[in-house]
Amino acid sequence: MSNFTFASIQPGQVQEVDQADETQSDRPWIVIVWNDPINLMSYVTFVFQKLFGYSLEKATELMLDVHHKGRAVVSNGSRERAEFDVYRLHEHGLWATMEHESL
Amino acid sequence: MKKNGPVVRLKNGKFKVDLADDHRQLLTQLIEQLRDSLTTTTDGANLRRLFPTAYNNDAKKDAEYQRLMRDELLESRLAAIDVAISVIAQDDEITTEEIDAFSRSINSLRLVLGTTLDIAESDYGSPDDAGQSENSDSDQASEADEYLIQKELYDYLGWLLEWTVSAQSENIQST
Repeated sequence: MSNFTFASIQPGQVQEVDQADETQSDRPWIVIVWNDPINLMSYVTFVFQKLFGYSLEKATELMLDVHHKGRAVVSNGSRERAEFDVYRLHEHGLWATMEHESL
Repeated sequence: MKKNGPVVRLKNGKFKVDLADDHRQLLTQLIEQLRDSLTTTTDGANLRRLFPTAYNNDAKKDAEYQRLMRDELLESRLAAIDVAISVIAQDDEITTEEIDAFSRSINSLRLVLGTTLDIAESDYGSPDDAGQSENSDSDQASEADEYLIQKELYDYLGWLLEWTVSAQSENIQST
């Protein structure tokens, strides 16, 4: 959706990094939607509204973050909750990943 | 006054998809091709956007996630495709669930076609990339023609999805 790209990852790639420390397990997870050049801006906004119940204003703000900044955090919570949200976003064709929230 | 498009939300909260017969045939053919691709393999390069990674910085966790969820995601896509084919074939009013399956399937088609075309941000609105071959040999000209056809399909699907999302958004705003 924008000229901003994160060259370090692609939808089908997984980076190999050191395994997370056990102490990370207590930290909440965040769900990130990444920019891609195919999904329509209106569609992304609609999906945010539909899946998370966000207002049009909030959904548009998040979509524009994806568009201009390359990514946006759309939800957070337990690992199970984050996996559920990632799955629903994938169902709708959005490029979503999850990771521990930064300290 | 808003002009009616191919997808409208009705006053009773249901939806109507109004497509020309040749468009119905084309869409059915494209979606059936997608279904055939998905039932053959989910590992094709042009399908990668339909099955993204969930943990992009943890290969072990992602492998576990894919083992648990990939088949479920595939089943969800195939179920949506079946509903979308039914929607395209009929003139009846359709439900929120049916229009949702329709829009997700149209978007899946766009993702696959856009990946095949290697769509980038700079590709909006112009198929000029294909022009590189216009003075080359016949094979390159044929590839350029194929690109233009696929790009036209991609743009058509974008147009159709815009109308669909517009109708769906009316539904959300009314609740």
